[in-house]
Amino acid sequence: MTAQSVLIWGAFSLYTAATFAAFGYLFTKDHRASRAMLTLLGIGLLLHAAAFAAHVAAFWAYPENRFFLPLTSFFGALSYMSLALAAAFFVVEGRNRLGILGAFVLPFAAGALGLAVIFANPESAPLAEPLRSYWLNFHPMLLMTAYAAFANAAGVSIALLIQERQIKSRKPNELCYRLPPLDELDALNGKIIAWAYPVLLIGLAMGFVWSYIDWGTFWTNDPKIKVALVTAAIYGWFVEQRYVAGRRGRRAVYVSLLGFASVLFTFFGAEVLSGRHSYMVGPR
Amino acid sequence: MKLLSLSWSHRSTASTAREALAAVPVERVLSELRGRGFKEAVAVSTCNRFELYAAGGESDAPDAAGLLDALAELAGAPVEAEVEARDGLDASRHLFAVASGLDSIVVGESEILGQLKTAYDVAKKAGMTGKRLNVLFQRALYVGKKARTETGIAVGSSSVPSVAVQLAESIFGALQGKSALILGAGAMAELAAKHLVARGVGKLAVANRTWERGYALAARFSGEAVRWESFPDALSQADVVIASTGAPKAVLTRAVVEEASRRRGGRSLFLIDIAMPRDVEESVHKLDGVFLYRLEDLESIVAKNLASRAGAMAAARAIVEEKAGEFEA
Repeated sequence: MTAQSVLIWGAFSLYTAATFAAFGYLFTKDHRASRAMLTLLGIGLLLHAAAFAAHVAAFWAYPENRFFLPLTSFFGALSYMSLALAAAFFVVEGRNRLGILGAFVLPFAAGALGLAVIFANPESAPLAEPLRSYWLNFHPMLLMTAYAAFANAAGVSIALLIQERQIKSRKPNELCYRLPPLDELDALNGKIIAWAYPVLLIGLAMGFVWSYIDWGTFWTNDPKIKVALVTAAIYGWFVEQRYVAGRRGRRAVYVSLLGFASVLFTFFGAEVLSGRHSYMVGPR
Repeated sequence: MKLLSLSWSHRSTASTAREALAAVPVERVLSELRGRGFKEAVAVSTCNRFELYAAGGESDAPDAAGLLDALAELAGAPVEAEVEARDGLDASRHLFAVASGLDSIVVGESEILGQLKTAYDVAKKAGMTGKRLNVLFQRALYVGKKARTETGIAVGSSSVPSVAVQLAESIFGALQGKSALILGAGAMAELAAKHLVARGVGKLAVANRTWERGYALAARFSGEAVRWESFPDALSQADVVIASTGAPKAVLTRAVVEEASRRRGGRSLFLIDIAMPRDVEESVHKLDGVFLYRLEDLESIVAKNLASRAGAMAAARAIVEEKAGEFEA
């Protein structure tokens, strides 16, 4: 076992443990569980950051890969996204006494890293010639950062739907008093998406610019691009509904969850169809 | 240690002695007892109970007859007929149960803990506590907290207004900076206004068909009176609405609420209908972001909470039993 795989397995185990602690907190409201969650997650983040650094070092062992980010392999992409996701949760919710949302957000982080650790090949390989571009450090990196933020928002949205159901039922149970207030969840969901949406747009725009500079054309007939545009349109719809039309509540939440479903499809589904954007070109 | 407790509580059907004792300031009780040579005593006087705890050593053990005699003189009436007297382990167990809210009308209510603390502080200041009662009362306060945090006896709100406030907080978070609108100016409306103001609602508006009565109610709570005709405007600015008018049919129709909801940009609206016949059309509950609770909804939440508190009593009693045993040992 290499140092990298020890670190990444360690991070994965800690994220998983933190997820269980998060559920423990949700069902018992025992503050020790919440503290355990943040501690496990914090150590997990450190291990994960170290693992990612080790991955970058292995990637740069090929001189032609310097100094590009290792985001073109399935492993690198999933590892980066779960790192961004967990770090965003740690900073945003963990510090805002919204640790209870861990039960809704951390499964995404543990799941993404689990996929990377169990199914993806961590070996590095030289980058394909056309990918050796500094655009690589921006176009996928920004998109994956936006995806990580959207995963956070999706977790908040699920909590929001549960809370809304609780209050609409007229028979709220303990869960209702444990979850953060509806308005707070709504504001957080809106804020995360409003922050991530421009990141998504800039990331997409950079893809088009890169394509124009290297291939002389903005548009390539690539399914992944089309699906990504659909994702952007859905979140655009959310931003319009939430901030222009002033619609909140259930409807807006459905739109944001639809957006995240589209993110998942963009990342995993289009994989099967895509040429240029396929992670399959990397080692498996 | 010799410990003695005398209680007159809501458990006893007769209440003349309790009422007479409640009228005596606890400072007077303590100074009278000191005058009669008692060294350590704490008197707890609340609307539901009057209790006296006295302690001493082997040589100066408090005697129940002496205490009752002093209290009867203070109350100006005989008190021994309705008393529950306890000593030793029974007395400390009783104090711990009282502190835990197990002896309260509303199981687990936390007010009693504050009242015990005050009673103890008053006695301490009067120089009527020594090593024995200091340790006993500090332990009682600790047991009271422990029973509430480690069992479900204090879980969930136990009254209609506090359930309503808790729901409002589940929707909006802290109520500071939120506005409330009260429709109607009757006794129920006034009670609702009192609770909302106590929980720090930022703005209070009152709309009533008779302007003068609405104005008077608003003035009592430094709120704003709104003309009845313009309550739909006020609705678009309110977060919590309490409807308790005597109107024969619904005043908050779906159309009115829909329009208000549109004007508020979809921000949540919490409607509480305590009027009979109803003030709010049931179908508004289906609107996105609008939450309508009727009096019976709140009452059934209270009933459920109280039932679950009752279910947790055995666990709380076990804590009381264990700690009283430890204390005696």
